[in-house]
Order: sequence, then C-alpha cells, then structure tokens
Amino acid sequence: MSKQYEIPIGAQHISLLEPLHFKFTTENEKVVRTDANVYYVHRGIEKACCTKFKFRQVSFVVGRVCGLCSISHTTAYSQVAEKLVKIEIPKRAKYLRMLVIELDRIHSHLLCLSHVAENSGFEALFMKTMQYREFAMELLEAVCGNRIQYDFSIVGGVARDLKPLVANSIIARLKTFMPQLDELVDIYSNNWTLSLKNKGAGVITKETAMRLNVVGPFARSAGLAIDVRNDTEDLLPWKEVGFEMITDTAGDVYARNMVRLRELYVSIRIIQNVINGLPEGELVTETKAFPDGEAVVRLEAPRGELFYYAKGNKTQMLERLKIKAPTFSNIAGMVEAFEGNEYGSVPAIIASYDPCLSCTAR
Amino acid sequence: MKTFLNAIGNIFRQPVTTKYPFEPTFKPDDYRGLIGFEESLCIWCRRCEAVCPPGAIVFSQDMEGKQTYHFNRAVCIYCGECVRACPKEGALFQTAEPAPCALKAENINNGWNKLYDDALASREAYAAEKKRRAAAEKTAATTNPIKPAASEGE
Repeated sequence: MSKQYEIPIGAQHISLLEPLHFKFTTENEKVVRTDANVYYVHRGIEKACCTKFKFRQVSFVVGRVCGLCSISHTTAYSQVAEKLVKIEIPKRAKYLRMLVIELDRIHSHLLCLSHVAENSGFEALFMKTMQYREFAMELLEAVCGNRIQYDFSIVGGVARDLKPLVANSIIARLKTFMPQLDELVDIYSNNWTLSLKNKGAGVITKETAMRLNVVGPFARSAGLAIDVRNDTEDLLPWKEVGFEMITDTAGDVYARNMVRLRELYVSIRIIQNVINGLPEGELVTETKAFPDGEAVVRLEAPRGELFYYAKGNKTQMLERLKIKAPTFSNIAGMVEAFEGNEYGSVPAIIASYDPCLSCTAR
Repeated sequence: MKTFLNAIGNIFRQPVTTKYPFEPTFKPDDYRGLIGFEESLCIWCRRCEAVCPPGAIVFSQDMEGKQTYHFNRAVCIYCGECVRACPKEGALFQTAEPAPCALKAENINNGWNKLYDDALASREAYAAEKKRRAAAEKTAATTNPIKPAASEGE
C-alpha cells in the first residue's frame, strides 16, 4: 500500500461556490475516501418561520433560503400553505408560476454549466456562458421586478401580472437565445479539452444513484428517470405545457452537462407554450382562512426535488415548517462519486453536482 | 481556421458588459423600487404595518391620537405586500426608483430599532391615556359632575 495523503477543500476555497468542506484521502493522486461536512451556514430559518412570521409572510422568508432557486422555495411554500388553507389557485397564476420557475431553471443551469467550465480550466467558456445567461436575469427582472429575490408567488396566487410587452420580449429574447444555446451545446459536447477532462469523471451508476436516493440532473444523468414534473399533475400542469423527461446513461460530468443543456431546450419550449396559451383570469384567490392540518408538497427545483412539510394549528403562526432541499438528498451520492477519480478533476466534479449548501443548511 | 478568424475579429469587437457608473444598466419599467406614501389619502388602518414581512413600516402616535408613518428603506424587501394590503387606492404605492444607499449619519439600523420600539411604546401610551380619559369621563359622569378629573398628572 502506498502512502496516503489527506487533502482538505473548503470551507472557503476559490473553486467552491458554497461553504462546504471536503476531506479527500488520496493515494497516488487518486481519491480513495471522501468526508463531507456541509452544515456551515445554519441560519435558523425554519424556527423563524414558526415563531416570528405570520404564515402569509413566510413565503417571503423562504424566498431568502436560496438565491438561485428563490422562486422554487416561494412556490413550494405557497402551495403547501394553499393546501393548509384549502384553496385552489387560478389557472393563470399556475401558468405564471411555471413561467418563472422555468426562466429560473435556465439561469440556474447556465450558471452551473459555466462553473463546470471554469473549474475544468476553461475560463473563456465560463465568461461566454455567463454572457448568454444575462438575458434570463433581465427577463426575470422584467417579469418579477427584481433580479434575484423574485417574491413572485404569494399564498393564493402570484403577486404580479405578465404584461403583454414583457411577454413579447420573452419570446423575442428566447429566439435570439436559441442559436446561442446551439453554440454552447456544440462547445460543451465537441471541445476536445473539455471532454478529455469531463468524460469518465465523477461517475455514478444507476444502481448507486437509486440506492443513495439521488435527485435532479445528477440522477437523470445516470439514467434514473426521476423528475417531480413528471409525477405530479395536481398543483402545476407540467405535461400540459410540454414537459419531457431528459435522461442520459453515462453518469459522469459530461453527461450531467448534456442533461442540463438539453433541459434548457425543454424549458424554452415550456416558456413558449406558457406564453402562447396563457389563460385569462384572476391572479389571486382571496381567503381569510387560517392554516389547519398537515400538508406535503414536492416541486422540481433546478437541482432536484424540493420538499416542503407544514403543519398549522388554526392560528396565524405555523406550528412546524420543514424544508428538504435537493442537495441534501444528493450529499451521499456526491461523496460516493468522487471515489477513484484523479484529484485534479475534483473541482470540476464538485461544480457539476451544482451543490446548494446554503439551501441545505438554511 | 474559423477559430483563428474569430480570434482576430474579437480584437475589434465591443465588450458585452456595460460601463456601469457611466452608463445605466437594464431596469424594467415596473422595477420594484421605493414605497411611496401619500399622507392625505391614508385612513390610518395600519394594515400595511401588519402585513410587512420584515417590519419596515411602523406608525407612531402622539398623545392627541395623530399618527405618523415611518418607513425604513434598508429594512424593506420591496415585495409590495403593503401596497396589495392597502385598502385605500393611492395611499401606498410602489415607485420604480431604486433605494439610495444609507449613510452613516442616518444611523439606519440602531436608529430604526430605537424608533420602532419608541413608536410601539407611543401607541401603548396613547391607548393607556385614552382608556384613562374614558374612565375619568365615565366616573365624572356617574358620580359628581362638578368634581374635576382628579388624576391629571399621572
């Protein structure tokens, strides 16, 4: 047995976007064991939601759980609260929620792709991807009035309407984005350096993914067809707007890139369908009821399945709110997939998981 | 070859970023900016204060019952919930103007915390005063109308 070295990464490191700590045990530059510590940013949001904020205000608090998937958290909470107060929201509100979730997915996936490129040592592609991502941020600002914290979903519906001018600009900007996305797909799939670095790195098999309960693009790249948009129809009508499952078989960094890129095409189609078939009607269902009972909601955030549990006791304050972020499910799979890889490809593998530890630790 | 031509072309291409302090960045027409308040239209129901998630709006009250609106732009998250809750059209509205930076002289954190507590205390004081006056009027009406209200300087 040759000598083993322990190399720590994090909690603050230039190639990490998130406060997480990995300890790699390496042998001849091969990773043989990984330890992960992820709870660096506990903010006590769940407790605050049950003690300091009324249940209508909580949707703005949970929007601050994550910067990237703000709308997923807000929407998931709004849905769980709507189940507790037993109301059905208008169809227009459902469609607008789907529109913003998909725009958010576009910018989140492009951010992840750009960081994979950066951590693989391809800085120019990082800048190019970020340049193409800017349109999604501007569209989100036009729809929601803010670049990051959207505050779009409220309990009972959505806060703002989609203006016809903004809808037209979304369609136009998506049309200009299509050739740019084709270009990105071409670079990410055909670039020699990038495929040399990414093919066969961080492999997770379908069986392991299933055993470790992996979710999101991480699981879909391994061939596990798991997507909440495919399972649930009651809260948001995903299949009605043309949702399609994207899977790959390889389970490596390259496959994860490809799954994310192909999901962008699906997101674009969903957005176009939503705008073209946007139903008329109210934005909000008003109610004066207080939350009562228990409810569970699942929603597909850009990183995977987001889970909300809430319990009400007929007062303004919730009795319990439980958030399970997608990255929490992925930690076991993340640790597993490092094994047998070169230490040099570790930053790219970490970025390809798209970890959101601030979500997970809250 | 194509890459080579691209590289040469890039020398003459303009940057995609905006030179921010000198050029304005993208801002939509209905940007979520500062919350405006029109005092003449307000009906002083304090609903905006009740719904505000971070507590950026508070009303203080003097001993005559006159209320004053206080707003902290550094605490506000610009969600527009107060505007939606406002029953009077036009009393509260959201402008497209971004909030200016806070200066140290404004003491926007500690000063606001003190103001918030003082405002709540002033309302409690007014409520107690009102109750006392009502009680005093009642006793004055029921017992001896000639006898003046005794507990004036409490």
